[in-house]
Amino acid sequence: MSSEQLKTFWFSVFFLLLTYSLLTSSLGAGAPPDLEEETRAIAAELRCPVCQNLSVADSPSELAQQMRALIQEQLQAGKSPQEVKQYFVSKYGDWVLLAPPARGFSLLLWILPGIVALLGLALAVFFIRRWMKKKDAPAELDAALALTGQRGAAGTGGGEGAESPRAFLRGEQARLEAEIKELEFDFHAGKLSQSDYDATRGDLESQSAAVLKRLGSLPAEPRRPSARSQPAAAVRKGPAAGARPVKRWPFAAGGVFLLLFGLALGVLLTKSLRPRASERDTITGDFLTGTPPGGGDAVLAQGRMAFERGDWAKAIDAFKKVLQADPNQPEAHAYMGMILAQAGHTEGALMAFDKALAVEPNFPMALWGKGMLLYQTNGDLGEARRLLQKVSSMMPPGPEKQEVEKTIAQLARDGNAKSPPPPQSSPASAQPAPPAAQPAVAGAQVEGTVDIDAKLKGKIDGQAVLFVIARSTAGAAGPPLAVKKIAHPKFPVNFSLDSQDVMMPGAVLSGKVFIFARLDKDGNPTTREPGNVAGEYKKNPVEVGAKKIDIILDQVQ
Amino acid sequence: MRLRRLVLTFVIIAPLLTLLAYGFFRDPRYIASPIVGQPAPDFTLTLFSGEKLRLADLRGKVVFVNFWASWCPPCLAEAKEMETSWRQLKDKDVVFLGVQIQDAEKNGRAFVDEFKISYPNGLDASGKIAIDYGVWGIPESFFVDPDGRVTYKHVGGISPVVVAAKIGEARRKIVSAKEGQGEYQPIR
Repeated sequence: MSSEQLKTFWFSVFFLLLTYSLLTSSLGAGAPPDLEEETRAIAAELRCPVCQNLSVADSPSELAQQMRALIQEQLQAGKSPQEVKQYFVSKYGDWVLLAPPARGFSLLLWILPGIVALLGLALAVFFIRRWMKKKDAPAELDAALALTGQRGAAGTGGGEGAESPRAFLRGEQARLEAEIKELEFDFHAGKLSQSDYDATRGDLESQSAAVLKRLGSLPAEPRRPSARSQPAAAVRKGPAAGARPVKRWPFAAGGVFLLLFGLALGVLLTKSLRPRASERDTITGDFLTGTPPGGGDAVLAQGRMAFERGDWAKAIDAFKKVLQADPNQPEAHAYMGMILAQAGHTEGALMAFDKALAVEPNFPMALWGKGMLLYQTNGDLGEARRLLQKVSSMMPPGPEKQEVEKTIAQLARDGNAKSPPPPQSSPASAQPAPPAAQPAVAGAQVEGTVDIDAKLKGKIDGQAVLFVIARSTAGAAGPPLAVKKIAHPKFPVNFSLDSQDVMMPGAVLSGKVFIFARLDKDGNPTTREPGNVAGEYKKNPVEVGAKKIDIILDQVQ
Repeated sequence: MRLRRLVLTFVIIAPLLTLLAYGFFRDPRYIASPIVGQPAPDFTLTLFSGEKLRLADLRGKVVFVNFWASWCPPCLAEAKEMETSWRQLKDKDVVFLGVQIQDAEKNGRAFVDEFKISYPNGLDASGKIAIDYGVWGIPESFFVDPDGRVTYKHVGGISPVVVAAKIGEARRKIVSAKEGQGEYQPIR
């Protein structure tokens, strides 16, 4: 290897090591400022024992939660992060550390990648060199032949004295054979190692084969070449096979490639990965993946989308996740409020809106949601008016604002309005528009009974709550239009759904509706647990105003 | 030359294949416990009866600690046999102790009633005891010798024969070199 090649090689090695150290240092940097951060930092270094490659910080499992609580408790008790980690190691072994300690068997994990990389590099250099040697052998021969021709052409010794290509090749062959013999002798004398002997002999043999091949390709009848024809041959060969320089470009290209690769790796990885800045953050940066800091935003967006699709379970799941990471996220609280309101859980909804407003007193979606819910459920109408006025003052002029103002006016006119015209859409842009307002039908209601299948009577849970639900669409996917909640039902139960049971702000009980009933084990309409019993009116849909809508609960969920 | 090449290839390939085979045949969830042979972490458990029981107070006796939950099928499967073992061994200076984890107390009480379990049981609500013992799958059983040292750990369902044998070993203060394994359920 020439000194330049050596330089390129060492530079590549140095660069790889530099990139590696930069990466590891940037990922582990940053001292946590407070207890929560410190807890998170320790948890991020511990492996969750019941998950697949998740840290205790990232895992939602119960065990990981308990472990996080324990870390915090131990830190509060004055233990150092090292002591806390040691505690977990004493319980679960070194396995629990995401970065295994650089000692014993684990040391292999740290040094093996480096060794393998170096070996790979050495192997690559070895093969490139061998490949180039093989390529160069015939080239050297060509160069020597050309030189022979030129000497002949120059007429240094006349036609007779000039070495013919055949004579030159024979000479070469004899020389190579002698060299092989000499090599064999050296090897048997113990002057050469087996590997050196094999490599050199291989080289000589391949050169010898090239000479033989060239000899074979010469005209069969060796004719004495004329003085005229020789220069012509030399001219023909001269420019094509003149003394070629040793090919250095593959080495240069390889070096440049390695350099660029290292640079790209160093730059892209350090930009695309970063230490998690907060509980809501992810390690992937925004450079490559487009993930903005604070991974919670992505979950929030998923929740919003699920909400707009009407996929309540997914929406609840996403908002719960957001709130788990950041219990003060106003938008997630507001959305939870909207979902609870639609499901008929007025108290829960009001609580969620209040939580959002406690964090951000002017959060439009929560103001509007709470205001409309109070208005719809005939709660504190003064408060409803105040909240809606607040929203209205923040809204840009437009039809949405007009709708809110209409509601405020209605509230001002009749503090006890039963079914006033609601606004057509919400003020928050991210919020889905409620169905278009329909003319209110005074006294519109649906009446009937709910009974339970005789076979299922024995399975009734004393704590179960009966929900009678009216939907504007078939199937259980859409939001309920109106819900009646009946605690501790004694079957058969009489029910009547009217405008007071309408749960979705902005909707009215009218036209054709689909009537369902569900006996919910835990009384929480937003969750579906196994063992719930459901049923629907067999002649769905029904016109609002219909009576004797009798439903049998006969489907176990 | 050809032989050399063959040997070289084998030397490179064999460790890789061994590593692959090791990866395939080992249970990726299994975590070897460092606490066997170590002093058993002390704890105080509030039993379903309302009494408080401290492990350190049981020095001089062999203690069998079993972690379980009512939602875990292997725990249900072994519950009856566990009670049988207890009835056979209770007069031999042995204490059986059930620690319910990741579960609601009412489910635990129902479980104990259903299987007519007569040895003391209590709920580890915070999960602290379970973490102290490095629990990751249930049922998980630990045998503590009269000096308060963990002599054996068994992950998963355990048969009465093993329970009796390991209690005998614990009494003689013999620490098992290997952990036992039966059918288990990873905790949540």
